[in-house]
Amino acid sequence: MSASISRAQLLSRSAKGGAALLVAGSALGQLVDTAAAAPLPVSDLAYTRLLVGAELLAADFYAQAIAAANAGASVARYLKIAAFNEQEHYQAVARVLTGAGLRPAVAGDFEFSYPDGTFDTVGSIVTFGLQLETTILGAYLGALGAVQTDTVRTGIAPIAACEAQHAAYFAEVKGLKAFSLSFPPALTIDQASNAFDAYTA
Amino acid sequence: MRFSRTTAHLALLLALVALCASAAAGGASATSARATAGLTIYAGSSMTTVLPQIDSGNQYSFGSSSALATQIKNGAPADVFMSANTSAPAALYAAGVVEKPVNFIRNTLAVVVPKSNPAGIKSIYDLTKPGVKIAVAAPSVPVGAYTVTVLNQMGLNAAIQANVVTQETSDANVVAKVALGQVDAGFVYLSDYVIDPGELTLVKVPAWAQPKITYALAIVTKSPNQAAAQAWIDKVLSPAGQALFVKSGFLPLTAPVPAIASFSPAKATGGATVTLSGTNFTGTTSVTIQGVPAKFKVVSPARITLTVPTRAKTGTITVTNPSGTATTVKQLRIG
Repeated sequence: MSASISRAQLLSRSAKGGAALLVAGSALGQLVDTAAAAPLPVSDLAYTRLLVGAELLAADFYAQAIAAANAGASVARYLKIAAFNEQEHYQAVARVLTGAGLRPAVAGDFEFSYPDGTFDTVGSIVTFGLQLETTILGAYLGALGAVQTDTVRTGIAPIAACEAQHAAYFAEVKGLKAFSLSFPPALTIDQASNAFDAYTA
Repeated sequence: MRFSRTTAHLALLLALVALCASAAAGGASATSARATAGLTIYAGSSMTTVLPQIDSGNQYSFGSSSALATQIKNGAPADVFMSANTSAPAALYAAGVVEKPVNFIRNTLAVVVPKSNPAGIKSIYDLTKPGVKIAVAAPSVPVGAYTVTVLNQMGLNAAIQANVVTQETSDANVVAKVALGQVDAGFVYLSDYVIDPGELTLVKVPAWAQPKITYALAIVTKSPNQAAAQAWIDKVLSPAGQALFVKSGFLPLTAPVPAIASFSPAKATGGATVTLSGTNFTGTTSVTIQGVPAKFKVVSPARITLTVPTRAKTGTITVTNPSGTATTVKQLRIG
């Protein structure tokens, strides 16, 4: 969980925020139920592992961006909320694997690397954040089209929506349109995997 | 380097032919790097280059970790067994053949393709294309087992196994086949590539699909050179020994998860110093009090001193390193 924002604090911010968390909680429950049900197809497990890695990358990016303290107050507030979101997303997708008797990856399994200067200014943080969140959104959209297990699909759909919100925030801060495409592109598992590879040593 | 790499691999293939002939004739073991008066060390073939760099005075026998384990179990006169996995030494320990194993290094899996890359392989997913010729190690040897794990984790096992044209007895053989252009790609350890890229191009195996590849070593119980064997282990685990492994493409061991046994004083104010006692504090990346980051100093693997932040509130103390976190049961009282 993020060091500086708790679930209770988030819930108290607004009724809308609380409702969003409630829905996310339902999705998490579905993913946990999925894990306890029949064995998942290997392709669904593969996608889940990819998404676990993506969430760990996102969590690491937000943690480093917060620690760098170069984002300014407004963006920093967003970074903390997004970091909390990514932690919850990680827990949700990781539980699919633990429920299947598998060990999900943890942060220590990865050595993430970022382009030089990623965390130096608010501009560089936002630019990288937009790129990362767009890729993660594409990975989730690809997963939604590819996974065979209905409960997994239903469980990750709200996560995709949340990642889209993250991408829209970064786009707006960057002075771009918060949204434009009616159908944001989905990434196949190999496209997503290759994209994330760029950020691992 | 092209010539030397190819020549080296041709020599390796010839040596392997000789080895097979030796084994067929009842011969005991694998390739000997050099014969000196030091320890006799049986080690996985992925360590062929690095171990003589750590100490050239030993006699090394390199081969498949699983085959070497069998030989040691059957009484081969090894002093130390160094395996590319933890399971083989653990099995020998359970059988009373070796002393308690010690983990000493990690590795990662990689795909290598010939420099000319005739199949146009850019990603592990390209290995599923029809007609691509792939070399892997047999599942009975560690690198082969790790390959199967990766392919299963990526959901690609069936598709890629359909393109496997040869199962080798070691990573070195896979490297040789790729370097000679006999196959389009092969699964090896990253260290196999880093040590001598030569004729090879690296294709990453995604981090999210990587298996845990941890190497373990153990002193053979019947070794008459117990003290020297322990000194060798100390040398391997020393910063200098570990640095040589890392230079050869291996990964250092990850820090164990920290554990907090106690802290004092029990009550403090902002700016005061609090001492944590516990284990595995080396490599600590953060210390927080109820989520508020504190400045800290790792005094020793068993002791951390921290400065209580002025905005800290009463709460538990959490220590984090790359492997995990530890949180106190009791709360540090502020005020």
